Amino acid sequence: MISIITAQAPLDLVIDTNERDVEIQSGISGTKIVLFGATPSGKRDIIIEVVGPPKNQTMQEKRRYFGFWLGRGKSYYKNVPSYYNLLSSKPLKEITNQESLNKLGLGIEHLPLGKANIKYSSIKQLKFDERLRSEMFEDGQFLENEENIVLRSGPGKVGLFKTEFSLPPNSLQGKYFVRYFLFQNGEAISYAESIIDLKQAGLARLIWIFANKFALLYGIIAIILSGLLGWVVSLIFSRYKLT
Amino acid sequence: MELYLPIAEITINPSIFLILGMSVGILSGMFGVGGGFLMTPLLVLLGIPPAVAVASEANHIVGSSLSGTIGHLKRKAVDIKLGNLLLTGGIIGSFVGIGVFNSLIKIGLVDLLITLTYFLFLTSVGSFMLYESLDSLGYLKKKKRRKNYHHSWIMGLPFRMRFKKSGLYISIIPPLLVGFIVGILASIMGVGGGFIMIPAMIYIIRMPTSVVIGTSLYQIIFVTAIVTLLHAFHNQTVDIILALILLLGGAVGAQIGVKLSSKLEGPYLRMALGVLVLSVGIVMASDLLIKPEETITLIRGGGSH
Repeated sequence: MISIITAQAPLDLVIDTNERDVEIQSGISGTKIVLFGATPSGKRDIIIEVVGPPKNQTMQEKRRYFGFWLGRGKSYYKNVPSYYNLLSSKPLKEITNQESLNKLGLGIEHLPLGKANIKYSSIKQLKFDERLRSEMFEDGQFLENEENIVLRSGPGKVGLFKTEFSLPPNSLQGKYFVRYFLFQNGEAISYAESIIDLKQAGLARLIWIFANKFALLYGIIAIILSGLLGWVVSLIFSRYKLT
Repeated sequence: MELYLPIAEITINPSIFLILGMSVGILSGMFGVGGGFLMTPLLVLLGIPPAVAVASEANHIVGSSLSGTIGHLKRKAVDIKLGNLLLTGGIIGSFVGIGVFNSLIKIGLVDLLITLTYFLFLTSVGSFMLYESLDSLGYLKKKKRRKNYHHSWIMGLPFRMRFKKSGLYISIIPPLLVGFIVGILASIMGVGGGFIMIPAMIYIIRMPTSVVIGTSLYQIIFVTAIVTLLHAFHNQTVDIILALILLLGGAVGAQIGVKLSSKLEGPYLRMALGVLVLSVGIVMASDLLIKPEETITLIRGGGSH
């Protein structure tokens, strides 16, 4: 399966670059994306964040009712980024301080999750937000990869950077916003943005779409496949008189 | 190796699920049950969302029960006529069960329903089997045997029919009712219902043990197929990849289990199954009573997002 991805906006973070590109390789385990480009040379650091298309999420709070722990308090989040990846050329704290990360909204803990509609719950939204972030992190949908960007010096006064990461196999189709921040002495000195348009989904996502769009047909196929496999196994066992 | 389940929306290690399928398959081959009553709670323990576990397990049982039925058909141990009667009840029951399931999904009580149904049925069936096997082994005080006490009212029911294979001339009401109840359970619990069907066929319908397992499996194929279809259509919770991995392990395990079963005596076999059923029920209940590590969780799996 091949994903067709186009870099719509040029990577114009940097002065005098014509090295701008995105490279895609997709497979069963996900879609590999390579970002590379050029920066003005010198002691500079790069932070890149990738924000995937929005998806609705539901959180549930278990509460005690008559001695039973039951999932009752649900909260519905609209337009949570389905994917987030923060990549940097050095450990974040060596690049800049917490204050400017806050200001720029960089990192999982600063990612806006949208407003949640929380029912039945007395607990504040902050608690739900925090749990949503950590669940997404555990699922590998929210990532932070420090020191994942490789810097090299290119010809003349140009520095080259390269980074690669994999989109999970269930990644949504749509626009992935890539934001590049150039830091010098702890200050963000330049910013650029580009869009990766994931046009075709991975196999897992295709199965999901099929199960949702053609639910009846999917059910019939599920039954036939299961029956067929059961039949074949019984054939094999009776053929070789294993029972 | 890792594998991403498209509907359950989690990444799993497929070898764990192959081994799980195989172990439950061995038990199912030994006891003549589908094994769903064990598999569904274990899937939930391994992190599969309950609604997906239920639907995918039904999908898995379609294949495993078909495989088993073929074996029993060769030994002419299936009463198709009686099976069809159970099936008729089962189809009606599964539609009712799905209706209940859907409305509970909407108000977020589906996990409670699944757990409570499991607890009630596993503990009662488990205790009954344990009691019965101890009784027949002579461990319990001999009570005055009431002669055919559950036969009397069943014999009196109307609409009687002859079932040659089972050598029975009985009313069609008990098989329809048993099928109906199992159909409801199948859709709520994602099980074939063998662990309820088999005792009911032996103790209520009084079928000869030789045709019980084959006939039960025969009707389970169709009930679980309908349940799979209904879940796929209404809830989009059938994970085809998960079902096929379990089936691959389970089909092999079942054949091993059949071999092992011939080495164990009937009452001991029933006692072992009784203990197993009872302990799964207790584990499920403790899940409801013990405070979870994290009270706020993300709902994964299923359709519509």
